[in-house]
Amino acid sequence: MAPRSLWNGSIAFGLVSVPVKVYTATESKTVHFHEVHAKDGARIEHRRICPKDDAVVDSKDIVRGYQVSARKWVELTDEEVAAAAGSQARLIDVDHFVPASEIDPVYYDKGYYLGAQDKGKDAYALLHAALGKADRAGVGRWVFHNRERTVIVRPLDDILAMHTMRFADEVVEPSEFELERVRRKPREEEIKMATSLVEGLHTEFDPADYENTYREAVLKVIELKASGKNIPPPEPEDAQPADDLLAQLEASLSA
Amino acid sequence: MPRSLWTGSLSFGLVNVPVAMFSGVSDQDLHFRQLHAKDHTPVETHRFCAEEDEEVPYDEIANGYDTDDGEMVILTDAELAAAAPHRSRTIDIEAFVDLVDVDPISFDHPYVLVPSGEAEGVQRAYRLLVEVMGRTERAALGRVVMRTKEYLALIRARSDRLVLTTMLWHDEVRPTGPIPSPTKKDKPAKKQVDAAIELIETFSCDWDPSRYEDSFQKRLRKIVQKKSKGQTIEVADADDEQPAPVPDLMAALERSLEEAKSR
Repeated sequence: MAPRSLWNGSIAFGLVSVPVKVYTATESKTVHFHEVHAKDGARIEHRRICPKDDAVVDSKDIVRGYQVSARKWVELTDEEVAAAAGSQARLIDVDHFVPASEIDPVYYDKGYYLGAQDKGKDAYALLHAALGKADRAGVGRWVFHNRERTVIVRPLDDILAMHTMRFADEVVEPSEFELERVRRKPREEEIKMATSLVEGLHTEFDPADYENTYREAVLKVIELKASGKNIPPPEPEDAQPADDLLAQLEASLSA
Repeated sequence: MPRSLWTGSLSFGLVNVPVAMFSGVSDQDLHFRQLHAKDHTPVETHRFCAEEDEEVPYDEIANGYDTDDGEMVILTDAELAAAAPHRSRTIDIEAFVDLVDVDPISFDHPYVLVPSGEAEGVQRAYRLLVEVMGRTERAALGRVVMRTKEYLALIRARSDRLVLTTMLWHDEVRPTGPIPSPTKKDKPAKKQVDAAIELIETFSCDWDPSRYEDSFQKRLRKIVQKKSKGQTIEVADADDEQPAPVPDLMAALERSLEEAKSR
């Protein structure tokens, strides 16, 4: 079955426009549960309650509010929020290019695929070829669900992939977390040994080598429970924290 | 200091480093609440049993799973935790890979790993990992279980700390094959590709995240400010027009290049 697109529009690249359709690139395969009442398995409903009236509030009596002070809320309608969306509803405006290899993984938010539309396939093919040869990703803006985001566009296989990106002020700088002082730094000998451990475990990355075995384990627990068996409680475990680093490294290497 | 989302240990060979995991993202969005229209009382969400029509305390809520036969299996949180007791507290490093080999399409959420506990041994083992992963430029692969979900995790050194990125499993990334792509007859001529590359290079720069700002949030803040002063918000119609494909690609490229040069 052909996938369904989420959005149709064009990438503007100089005076060239590339008609595209946007598709989601990912889908969750997590085993899905819903909330139930433990004693009888009845469905749990989320109801909106006004704590002052102690009564359920009808959805037509609910408004969206932003708190500006302890007592004051500002009400905003859907249209007023949509006014912040950004002006170009059908355009991914790509105005500069960066080497994709320079982008730290922390900036990537959600991935999408861009499909070619029936018209303008030549422009799509051109952008795909040129980005690949120049080894660059295009940076632009995209308005989706009434919200403007920064996106990058890059070639992936025979298509273009697009990622929404996180903003710099959303990304936590790791050095904000202070480390305890240590009396001495790792010794050269320890570094050498740990390095050979790293190199010994080095492999070329192939995503297909890694299966979500936890998903299988959850399904197995469900099966056990369905056949009326007891689920054994988890066993306590004790991991030994690193005390004698050198001895542990040596033991790891000879293991 | 934010609260840690997960604590456990990072295990590398026979070396165990107790760590605490913090989110690598700090939410800067404006958040709204649902209010009761008549008096602006913030509305609360309560859980009710659909059959008894009564409120259910949190500890009486379990996880229901619908089987293919239309039956429902009920699992408590403790029973669910039994699925993988070991993994919910340990990240075993299974392999080291090169970051360039990992396609960004599977990146999920970034975290920061911090050594937990003041013991000198723990701190030193953490620093050793940072040092070695920095020097070799390798990233470690492991698995981390958070709540009821297991992720493949990529761990690497950044700013003298270990950072972790959760990743989607390979079967959670859709194949690119079914996505409509150009055919062979759409293949561009060499001079078109050369002109497009020239255009790309003219507008190339380094990746500098600080040059992008969340203009949506900025506009939203302004709207809230205006509204709070009692001003009306003008809702302009968005430009809903999709530009038509250009009839002559080469001419459009040449004109784009001329415009770029004349700036």
